[in-house]
Amino acid sequence: MIAPPGLRAWQPSGSAGRWFVPAAARLMRLELRHNAMPCLLPLAIALFGVLTYRKTLAMPPLWYVRVDDTQSGLVLDFATSVAGAAAWMGSREARRRVTDLLETVARPRFTRLLASWAATSCWAVAGCVLCLAAVYWATSLRASWGGPLWWPAAVVVASMPAFAALGFGAGVLVPSRFTAPVVTIATFFVVALSTELIVGSQSYWQVSPVVSAAWDVGADPGVATFYPYLPDLSIAQLMFLAGLTVAVVAAATGLPRVSGSRRLRVAAAVASTAGLLTAGTAVDLAGTGTLNAHGMIVIPALHDAADDRPLQFTPVCSRTAIPVCLNPAYAVYLPAAASALGPVLSEIAGLPGAPVRVIQSGTTYQQGPANEVLISLAGPVVSGRPPVYRLLLPDQLGGLQLSPGQLTGVLRAGTDPSVIASVVGDGPGASAAQRAVAAALLLAAREPYRALAAGTVSGVLAPGTPVRQSVPSRGRRVAGAGQGLIPAPVFAAALRFTALPASARHAWLVRNLAALRAGRITLARLP
Amino acid sequence: MNVEITDLTRRFGRTTAVSGIDLQAGPGVVGLLGPNGAGKTSLLRVMATAIPPTSGRIRLLDRDPGRYGPRQEIRRRLGYLPQNLGYYPGFTVAEFVEYFALLKEVPARRVRAAVAAAVERVQLADRSAARLRTLSGGMLRRVGIAQAIVNEPELLLLDEPTAGLDPEQRVAFRSLLRGIGRSATVVVSTHLVEDVAAACSEVVVMDLGQVVFRGTPPELEARGQAHGVGDAPLERGYSAVLSGSRS
Repeated sequence: MIAPPGLRAWQPSGSAGRWFVPAAARLMRLELRHNAMPCLLPLAIALFGVLTYRKTLAMPPLWYVRVDDTQSGLVLDFATSVAGAAAWMGSREARRRVTDLLETVARPRFTRLLASWAATSCWAVAGCVLCLAAVYWATSLRASWGGPLWWPAAVVVASMPAFAALGFGAGVLVPSRFTAPVVTIATFFVVALSTELIVGSQSYWQVSPVVSAAWDVGADPGVATFYPYLPDLSIAQLMFLAGLTVAVVAAATGLPRVSGSRRLRVAAAVASTAGLLTAGTAVDLAGTGTLNAHGMIVIPALHDAADDRPLQFTPVCSRTAIPVCLNPAYAVYLPAAASALGPVLSEIAGLPGAPVRVIQSGTTYQQGPANEVLISLAGPVVSGRPPVYRLLLPDQLGGLQLSPGQLTGVLRAGTDPSVIASVVGDGPGASAAQRAVAAALLLAAREPYRALAAGTVSGVLAPGTPVRQSVPSRGRRVAGAGQGLIPAPVFAAALRFTALPASARHAWLVRNLAALRAGRITLARLP
Repeated sequence: MNVEITDLTRRFGRTTAVSGIDLQAGPGVVGLLGPNGAGKTSLLRVMATAIPPTSGRIRLLDRDPGRYGPRQEIRRRLGYLPQNLGYYPGFTVAEFVEYFALLKEVPARRVRAAVAAAVERVQLADRSAARLRTLSGGMLRRVGIAQAIVNEPELLLLDEPTAGLDPEQRVAFRSLLRGIGRSATVVVSTHLVEDVAAACSEVVVMDLGQVVFRGTPPELEARGQAHGVGDAPLERGYSAVLSGSRS
């Protein structure tokens, strides 16, 4: 060992604070290099890839749908790893028996614990941002309209320091080698099961970052497409997460007597109290949330009335006989919709009372008792002069997302009969002639006969009728198939009418549609 | 005086570890000898500001460690090696020493040089990139010494620093102690009287929480001239002092 220098090259002084920034940077570098989170990041990212990313990309390329699903999935994928790693780091000093040595250093305990927690959070946030970037990039490549929604991303990012704080606090307060696994398991159950406690739209549990939207509506394509995305719930969640983070970090690192000066401990107590108040306020705000007609949670104290105005957009339209126009966000579905509706629209184009356009419309959401939500078309099916048929794509009704191919089938079975019914007046109490003409037009459009037999010709999508109940579900449509639903004379008349040349059929309808709708034409008078 | 202790007592529950000790020390190397349970480690922990005294007065580096501000000033000028050195196995030697340099508020621009010097002084420069988990017990002890001296302390407290060191390293370590002791106060708690004989300018013998001898190594040796227990003169003096205090 060499001899020491005679005099020290520097003099310690109370002004060491001016060196704080570069020293803190070096401390952070060390903590980042020796953090447990990088070891768990591959696991969290793999979970995200397998559980969330694949599912999200299988969804329609609508920003809301994908981002909503990503928020819930990503928080679940990362929460356990982050809390576990943070608990491991929080218990490090005691596990490694360095406490005695570290209590004799000049820099307050608060500083080094804060650096350790911050490093864990940084890694978690970095991993999270990477995953979010993947989803946002993939969605941007395929989304035809709208822009990225940043509020859910902000909630995901903010939840990482919060979970890190919870885990870290547990590690500091109960330093043991078992703390991290216990925290990991507990976090999983608390996060996963918290959503089970949500009942209706007015639930305090909505403050959980796993809840990305109205929990009973979920990632519904009908939401945030015709009306702006409401950040109310996200704001409450951010408040909650920020408050929780500050409260836990301040309590775990700054409150104990050994943490630092009296002034620092007082500041920590104030910060902890403020954090708790903020988090409590956010929970209270979340409890005041209600499902609005557009499928999003409105928190009155945070709500901006300007967000209730419908979004302005230029629809994308097909070149069918009667244009089918969709919200540009649904542009990917236009070919399927045009293919499904085009033949029927050709049959009715130019008839008196026929719609001049089929326009996709928004849905309206109504919270039912418990966790039931009623989703229906907002307003009548046919409205305006000249009349416009207001279309609702099956995806807007919640439930499973459909591929364009599946969408074609569902529109043929459900919407084609409805469009015809709106023209010929088919519905409850319709005459036999009306039923025969409706069936004939469907047959002429080469619609499979089972669509008639499914009973969808009569009365579907009548104004004011809840769509969820009136549009046949995929299961019922097939299960209800059978030729016996339409009496044989009606079917025979339909076949006879179908056999006419298209021009003759059209000419007859132009002349007699008003009488047919009024019920003055009998089955025998059909050509 | 860098260390001024008056009537210091430290209790742990019903156990009195240190009882009414008076001690003053200026620059130089003070050897703290005593049997197991004599209170050496407790005294060092109080001097290291790791634990407060139960009663009595203590001033370190002319400051009162009972108050926050002065305590921080003392800690900036303090080096401490505990008896059981905890460490982070994933850190390299340099990183571990750097970690403590930062926590001791060594100016950031000086950290790199201070770490390099400390690692060099404990002869671990060639292993500075090695992770701590790969080091032997003796090397870990030297890492502990490096972190203690990285801030060029004015008060260096070492609890059993030579445990695990091989003879060659112990010789080098004594040389290091003598060098540091020229400008700083070094208090070394040890069981090894040869370390005291070789490196210390003053010896304090403790037993049952009290100081039973204080003087120079030759003075301790002189106490053992009429005592037959022990192989070396200093050991005989040490045994004589303990026997005298217990009789």
